[in-house]
Amino acid sequence: MTPESLPAARSAPDLQAEAAFKEWVRRIVKGVAELKALEAGQIDAVLDPATGSAILLPEAQAALRRSARSALGARDVTRNVSGPILTGALPGSRRTKAGRIAAVARATTPNCLLAALPAKEYERLLDGLEPVRLTYGEVLNEPGEQIRYAYFPCDCLVSLLTVVEGRRALEVGLVGREGMVGSRLALGFAASSVRSLVQGTGTALRIESARFLREFHRGPELQRALLRFTDALMLQVTQNAACNRFHVVEARLARWLLMTRERVSSLEFYLTHEFLADMLGVRRVGVTVAASALQRRQLIHYRRGAIKILDLQGLEASACSCYQQVRLTGLTISVR
Amino acid sequence: MARKGKKPPAAGPPVTTVIVMRLYVAGKAPNSIKAIANLRAICRRYLKDGYKLEIIDVCEHPRRALSDGVIVTPNLAKLSPGPASSVIGNLGDTDSVLAALGLQAGDIVE
Repeated sequence: MTPESLPAARSAPDLQAEAAFKEWVRRIVKGVAELKALEAGQIDAVLDPATGSAILLPEAQAALRRSARSALGARDVTRNVSGPILTGALPGSRRTKAGRIAAVARATTPNCLLAALPAKEYERLLDGLEPVRLTYGEVLNEPGEQIRYAYFPCDCLVSLLTVVEGRRALEVGLVGREGMVGSRLALGFAASSVRSLVQGTGTALRIESARFLREFHRGPELQRALLRFTDALMLQVTQNAACNRFHVVEARLARWLLMTRERVSSLEFYLTHEFLADMLGVRRVGVTVAASALQRRQLIHYRRGAIKILDLQGLEASACSCYQQVRLTGLTISVR
Repeated sequence: MARKGKKPPAAGPPVTTVIVMRLYVAGKAPNSIKAIANLRAICRRYLKDGYKLEIIDVCEHPRRALSDGVIVTPNLAKLSPGPASSVIGNLGDTDSVLAALGLQAGDIVE
């Protein structure tokens, strides 16, 4: 039984739901020390091996909500609240217009597409934007489904996957702070053509589709920015197709790491072999061999999914030529 | 002629051991905040600079925590020197934290 099958525990904290949640926790937590700490009320979260996510206990969840509310107007709320139970609109996001604008303006690492807009168009968009925290593994859109929101990633990473025969998926594009998820709206389509999967936890700004379209038709600069982004995305997709056919896994992995680094603006990120295999359309063992080769050459450090780029220039030299075609230009990439 | 024995090791400052720890927390949840504060106080008092601490937010990196065998947070894992050990909870019980780190209440660093 996963927490997803316990909706009652989240929405209506009645006794029955509480008992079900406790039962689920008891099934996961078995160690003596863990149980003792749990009984003493010293536990904040339980990690669910089935879904690979952290589930906050009700007390911790309530405390985080309280602190987020009291912090509103004083601190960046997007940094204070995390965890799958709170995923989605941040607490307090259904508040006054002024409050929402203030929270949006305070969001860290601004989205480059939004940042390039003239002040007037940006302010109009701000009115409809709200900061949300997106967590690893979350699906924003499925192919054929209506696009409810347009997302502008700030420091998260979203993969665009094409789904074959309803189950197998291959990455065709990667969107980070340089662009937007749901750009098909701008082309006049209401449904998504790809699966948008969050690959890097972080913050994004989202706006309802109808509201976005209204602003899109009103703002010539937003239209131009989105056309440029769509063109860049198309280039990425076509280059990916050629790359998957012609280049070896090691060079493709190097390119993929460099692209990720540009989008999350960091030399360190977390990616499992399994995920990389899905992204590159190869078997896990292929990723292991390629990652080990890059590690042997001291270009990256890879341990239990935690990747650190050690030699950026070396990695660029190892990447296939596709990287030069799709690399982002004009972005400031800070090294953390 | 008496044979010269092995030279006794030169007297000098004792070799200090760096304790490497990893603390798994859940964002800014109350027990996690307490655990960080308690651990920092213990480190200041008993270890001064002789430790390395990595704090991992399981809300950000749940899979990493799971692959490290962590099920609940806060969870303090001592990685080295061996043997590895862990303490669960808000680390308010100083004695059990010291025991897990292989220290004693009298090992205060001036």
